[in-house]
Amino acid sequence: METLKNALDFSDFPRLDLTLAATVAVFLIVFPFFSHSSFAMSTLIQFLIFSLYGMGWNTIGGYGGQVDLGKAQYLGIGAYTTAVMLLRWDTPFWISMPIGVLLSVTWSFIIGYPLFKLKGHYFAIATIATSLVLKDFFEVWDLVGGSRGIEILAGKYQTPDFVHLIFKGDDYYYYVILLFFFIGILFMNAFRKSRLGFQLRSIKDNEDIARSLGINVHWAKIKTYAIATAFVSAVGSFHACYVKNIEPEDTMSLDISILIALMAMLGGAGSLWGPIIGAAVLVPLKSYLKEWLGAQAGMVGIDLILYGAIIMIISAAEPRGIWGMVDKARRRKRS
Amino acid sequence: MKKHFALVLPLMLVLTLVLAMQTSYAAETIKIGVLYPLTGGAAAEGRELRAGAELAAEIANTSIPEIKMDMAKRAGIASMGGAKIELIFKDHEGNPTLGADQAKKLIQDDKVIGIMGCYHSAVTKTVSAVCEEMGIPMINDSSTSPALTSRGFKWFWRTTPHDITFTQDLFEFLKGITEGKAMGVPAIPKAQIKTLAAACEKTEWGSQVSETIGTLSKDYGFDLKKSLLYAAKSPDLSSEVRSLKSARPDIMLFASYASDAILMMKTLKAEKAGPKMIWGQDAGFEAPEFRSTLGDDVIGILTRTVFAPQIGQVKDVSGQVNFLYKKNMGRDLSGASARAFTGVQTWAEVLEKAGSTAPAAIQKAANTIMIPGEQLIVPWKGIRFAASGSDQGQNELGSGMIGQYQKNKTGEIVMEIVYPFDVATAKLIYPLKGF
Amino acid sequence: MEILAGSLSAGLLIGMVFALVALGLTIIFGVMDIVNFAHGEFLMLGMYTALLTAQATGVDPLLTIPFAGLVGFLLGVICYLGFVKYLIRGPMVAQLLGTFGLMLVLRNLALFLFGSEDRTIHEGLLVGQSFDVGMGIILPATKLAAAVLSVISFTAIWLLINRTRIGKALMATALNAQGARYMGIPTERMNAFAWGIGGATVTMAGALLVNFWSVTPYVGLLFTMIAFAIVALGGFGSIPGAFFAGLIVGLITELPGLWDFAAEMTGFDWMASVPMTSFKYTWVYLAYFLIMLIRPRGLFGWKH
Repeated sequence: METLKNALDFSDFPRLDLTLAATVAVFLIVFPFFSHSSFAMSTLIQFLIFSLYGMGWNTIGGYGGQVDLGKAQYLGIGAYTTAVMLLRWDTPFWISMPIGVLLSVTWSFIIGYPLFKLKGHYFAIATIATSLVLKDFFEVWDLVGGSRGIEILAGKYQTPDFVHLIFKGDDYYYYVILLFFFIGILFMNAFRKSRLGFQLRSIKDNEDIARSLGINVHWAKIKTYAIATAFVSAVGSFHACYVKNIEPEDTMSLDISILIALMAMLGGAGSLWGPIIGAAVLVPLKSYLKEWLGAQAGMVGIDLILYGAIIMIISAAEPRGIWGMVDKARRRKRS
Repeated sequence: MKKHFALVLPLMLVLTLVLAMQTSYAAETIKIGVLYPLTGGAAAEGRELRAGAELAAEIANTSIPEIKMDMAKRAGIASMGGAKIELIFKDHEGNPTLGADQAKKLIQDDKVIGIMGCYHSAVTKTVSAVCEEMGIPMINDSSTSPALTSRGFKWFWRTTPHDITFTQDLFEFLKGITEGKAMGVPAIPKAQIKTLAAACEKTEWGSQVSETIGTLSKDYGFDLKKSLLYAAKSPDLSSEVRSLKSARPDIMLFASYASDAILMMKTLKAEKAGPKMIWGQDAGFEAPEFRSTLGDDVIGILTRTVFAPQIGQVKDVSGQVNFLYKKNMGRDLSGASARAFTGVQTWAEVLEKAGSTAPAAIQKAANTIMIPGEQLIVPWKGIRFAASGSDQGQNELGSGMIGQYQKNKTGEIVMEIVYPFDVATAKLIYPLKGF
Repeated sequence: MEILAGSLSAGLLIGMVFALVALGLTIIFGVMDIVNFAHGEFLMLGMYTALLTAQATGVDPLLTIPFAGLVGFLLGVICYLGFVKYLIRGPMVAQLLGTFGLMLVLRNLALFLFGSEDRTIHEGLLVGQSFDVGMGIILPATKLAAAVLSVISFTAIWLLINRTRIGKALMATALNAQGARYMGIPTERMNAFAWGIGGATVTMAGALLVNFWSVTPYVGLLFTMIAFAIVALGGFGSIPGAFFAGLIVGLITELPGLWDFAAEMTGFDWMASVPMTSFKYTWVYLAYFLIMLIRPRGLFGWKH
């Protein structure tokens, strides 16, 4: 089980990083036992959700170097699959989630094949295009409730319901997503050391050389895209059970795709901790800014102005994001 | 500098912990959370709603014996030692997820004992789900999608009549026109107004209206040739209008919020759509911006409404409250502000009856309360909630009206009542001109 | 028949306006190979400029167009000199990210300054007027004016690029920046100039658009997508390409109208219940996707 060994092997990180990571992990585990506001809890859950989205995005966007701005469509597929199956056939979450992933991955293969013939900004725009097309389609599809969306009524279930993943209050949801979070990190760790991970890195460095080495570039990208999709879809299914009300405008909008990409890029695309750092900075920033400023009508949008500005600065000064800055600084210190 | 970056994460988390430790301190007031669209495309309506609610809270909290309302005679909630009602407003921007988040915060952090809102049916949907989950009572003053009361919720009550009632009013009105019941207009043969086309905004509210129009037009024998849904935030509605036009309808029906209602009317005019009647399911059609932006173009447009200032001539309370409102806001109460007012008034009466802020007591009071029509500023028979059945929590004694924009003797544009026929205040303008 | 004529004329008319929106994008791309995600936001700012100037000064909105153009020119130049200049040094990802960030900043700045309620011009010389040419063709005066001005702008820009010295310098920079530099052409200034022109044309398009299209801080994205589709279809860097592609895209958005026509012709009742109007722009996105796959060069493209 070399993959498992790979997943658990963090030894190529400096001690400081690992100690920090461990502290954060411990904090996350014990957080709910301290008194906290519901606001802090929901912010943390959002942080974990977006870290996961970001990690998934990172496979194709970071390690793969192809900026994908249409991830929200897979969120939608995952969320709707779970919601529809729950409402119609009372399907347990642990079955509907993998089915959602299967549907998402299938879709990703269908559009991935033509999609990866493009590169750079053409690719990015094409991903936006596909996401919007799917969203428009969902809005008129009666099976998924059209533009009214689907509502899951918690009252119909005996909570806590681990089978269908319906709970009252945030605490149980927190632990479920935390579990996903840790699994996600282990997976990403294995990924970056796997053959596919190495292939991606050489493709990112120089595609032509990679091809001459015998790597099937097209397929490598499609496979990676599928992995990214699986991440997003699985968390999307969770999202459906947590939020219990999904609408295309809400769940599959371009804004969410943008946020996902943004957080990963800000934190450092192409690194393990990058997306997590990005989410850790942007999610609380967004929530608390909204709290402090949002009440006064007229302060709307300041949070996004800040992100946009941060993104602009980072892209001009250090495209590798916060992690890139840390890395560079360290290398300078060493030499 | 570099090491400091590594500290960002833990710092962020420490910050979270610190903020988590904050608690809020309760005061001697009864806190009710109110969720309205204070920004966004319906901000205009949001302001009206807020003004209506605030006026009601003011009247509830102070003794104004001249107003012939029980709530006005009391100062605060008498059965709770005169405790005052405090409304905490939050903006949901028309976004259902945001609304639900705000509701959670109001309940868990601000510790409100009840919720009111939210205007947008799509937001009321999610907010009420939160309240139901947490066992906190919610009174819906302004959202009319029928689906909201058919979920069997035990913590949800609605004062306003819903869209099935209102749309039925429309078809009764049309039927009455064919029978010559409309004031000032001879009986119009059905063949002349048989073809309908409808355009509704596509969220929870509009799509429900669309469905209801579909069902009722069949029941009443009208031909609904085209029925489409559109995004209220659309910046351009010309293809929608052209699509409606292609059905060559006699009557056009709309369910629109403020900005899209205005855009729709302008586009209709530019495309010379030519229907004989235009009817709107309230909302945007009653917004003050509708009248002020379109000016004389609104004359002849029909809309469902719940309140018109003329009611003040028949009902003293309506006139008195309208007078106060006009003093503060510079204009008359509208259907929106009147219902917001009624919502807060209902909260006051329910609390009065319950005698405590315990959810169970409020629930019992709401399920058994009967507020007589004379107490209300809206022309309803009263407020009494269905305690069970397919429409649980719905006020069974509400009713709607249909108004038409007309020019009065002094040249002002006012809303005259044209339905119910026996309370009509002016002749019906038919057919519509200028489109 | 009326429906068909009405739809076609509407499609062509709006297509010409769309083409003007896309013109700026193709110029910037042609000269610098950078895709401006914030393009739609420039348009949005042009719309607000025209609207607010008209409201503040009371002049007819059509007269605000030159002013909007000036604002756009300055905005483009400032964006280049202050920011984009640094982006082109970096990898492609950075460029994407960067103009993306710019998009967010501009959009939310507008949100902060102007609020999210939408606004349109309600008063003006041509507002609300339309010409009924018969046969179901109704030409709203504002759209007609916009189309006319679009044609004028295209011609003007084409002349600028092909007949003036500065235009030729621009072309040279586009074809080979290194070579142009050796020839003594100040490429930095050319780049800034390209951004200036790109910005100006799109803000003027906005000033025209706002006469019949309401503006919110969020309109930008739709137009960015439309502009991309047009530029892709017409060929990145090709000015006549942008014009014709604009017409085609305009017609694509009228598909619901054509559908209605087909429904009436064939008499299939089920066709009336298909919610075509919800898919107005979906077809545009699909068109972009297909073009990129089948013929990335577009109709007239010389650069890919």
